[in-house]
Amino acid sequence: MSKSSQAAPERLARWRPDRRMNRRRHMDRLATWMSVVAGAVLVVVLLSILWTLLSRGLVGISWATLTHGMGPPGSGGGLGNAILGSIIQTSVALLIAVPLGLSCGIYLAEYGRKTNYFADVVRFVSDVLMSAPSILIGLFVYQLVVVPWGHFSGWAGSVALAVLAVPVIVRTTEDMLRLVPTAMREAGAALGAPRWRVILSLCLRSARQGVLTGILLALARVGGETAPLLFTSLGNQTWSSNLNKPMASLPIAIYQYAGASYDDWVQLAWTGALLITFGVLLINIAVRLSARR
Amino acid sequence: MNVGLTTSPENGSSADAEAALSVRDLNFYYGNHHALHDIMLDYPARQVTAMIGPSGCGKSTLLRVFNRMYDLYPGQRATGEVIFDGMNILERTVSLDILRARIGMVFQKPTPFPMSIYDNIAFGVRLHERLSKSDMDERVQDVLTRVALWNEVRDRLRAPASGLSGGQQQRLCIARSIATRPEVLLLDEPTSALDPISTARIEELLDELKEEFTIAIVTHNMQQAARCADRVAFFYMGRLIEVDTADRIFTNPRQKQTQDYITGRFG
Repeated sequence: MSKSSQAAPERLARWRPDRRMNRRRHMDRLATWMSVVAGAVLVVVLLSILWTLLSRGLVGISWATLTHGMGPPGSGGGLGNAILGSIIQTSVALLIAVPLGLSCGIYLAEYGRKTNYFADVVRFVSDVLMSAPSILIGLFVYQLVVVPWGHFSGWAGSVALAVLAVPVIVRTTEDMLRLVPTAMREAGAALGAPRWRVILSLCLRSARQGVLTGILLALARVGGETAPLLFTSLGNQTWSSNLNKPMASLPIAIYQYAGASYDDWVQLAWTGALLITFGVLLINIAVRLSARR
Repeated sequence: MNVGLTTSPENGSSADAEAALSVRDLNFYYGNHHALHDIMLDYPARQVTAMIGPSGCGKSTLLRVFNRMYDLYPGQRATGEVIFDGMNILERTVSLDILRARIGMVFQKPTPFPMSIYDNIAFGVRLHERLSKSDMDERVQDVLTRVALWNEVRDRLRAPASGLSGGQQQRLCIARSIATRPEVLLLDEPTSALDPISTARIEELLDELKEEFTIAIVTHNMQQAARCADRVAFFYMGRLIEVDTADRIFTNPRQKQTQDYITGRFG
């Protein structure tokens, strides 16, 4: 008994944190709180955007807004043609971008591993393209498609959006395929499967969740783009599903209406912004849910 | 006792058995690294030959020569001969698809494909044969029965294979390999990621499979080699030191290095 009570103060001393440990603990607490605050600020900003959009845009949502085409101020026009135009152009853009981006991502991951100069160049260009200002893409497609054809068109708009989507799909496809373990490729080869078969049936299949996520992210990215459409599909006040003609789109409608001095046009701009934002939000949520499965 | 320097395959009791695989003067290189030196070794048909030795001794490298797995990686090359069914399989002209259908491989980690249990088996078969639905069903049931998995999975053949336990996945991989009806089965430490019970089941399985297949197994587990193998080859630093019956290797090896390794003095 006396022995253990004598030892007690020494033992306690061994358990007492010194000043350096205390300082580290305070720093840790401080850093944690700063991260929480930063996160909270971000959420508040996002929520305030959503709140503003909801409070200004929701009143404009009606059957007429969704189904009527755009019209002169005071005529009760809607956004129907712009919604249709956006759906058509992003769909066509994906039809172009997905095969291209997938093939390119497969090439980089499966054939362009190391010591492949050409693959390095492709990868670098793709990454540069991903961060290129979208208005430059618009001007590029203007030169490439609009000038030779002599007129603005939905095709040109779709091509511009596809150019924006490709690098996103390339990057995610390559990254996801690289996560597929070498053992999977070897196991496929060991059964006598040719390489293309291993890539398509095994690698791409086990990476499908991530690859799909990349495609949906690309969709979300291009769905809200305005700048690449300004010089390509131009916008259109009337209903048109003809890809050879100028075509309306939600971002351009917002761009045109937001600065207008007519109240109903401004209202339509808010409503359009609400539709795009929640469309993109829904796609993002769908991505998260599909990735979790 | 006459300690010969020879590493020729003629020693050991099974020299009279017909060899399914004959390795002659095999050298292997990873780029500039010379990993295997002048290997001479026979794998008798329908026997289990175990390859043992410390990490990095070249036993897995040798295994991966037999189905030309090294072809996937530029910079890896083999010289010499590996005779299988009268053909040197190291020749450029050998069709890898056919070679790998005839020489199957099971890996250290179970590698279920991202598809159903049924399709895991059918995937390999479809590469080489056209079977009717009923023939395919029969093949799937047959191989799953042989790896003692049928009763555990018969009700969920369409479920993803990733849902199986590690031991079940490895038995599925063995089933997948024998479904293409190979003549030789290569096993690269097939039980090192498994628990003792799953390991025991796979060892029992090897005993049954050798009735039909020639088996080459790489293992770090000397008890496993002693239990399963008819013949054991000991490798050290890229060289074949000794090959003999399992009994002989574990009771009375001729080489001192073998003796040191099996008694745990190094490695």
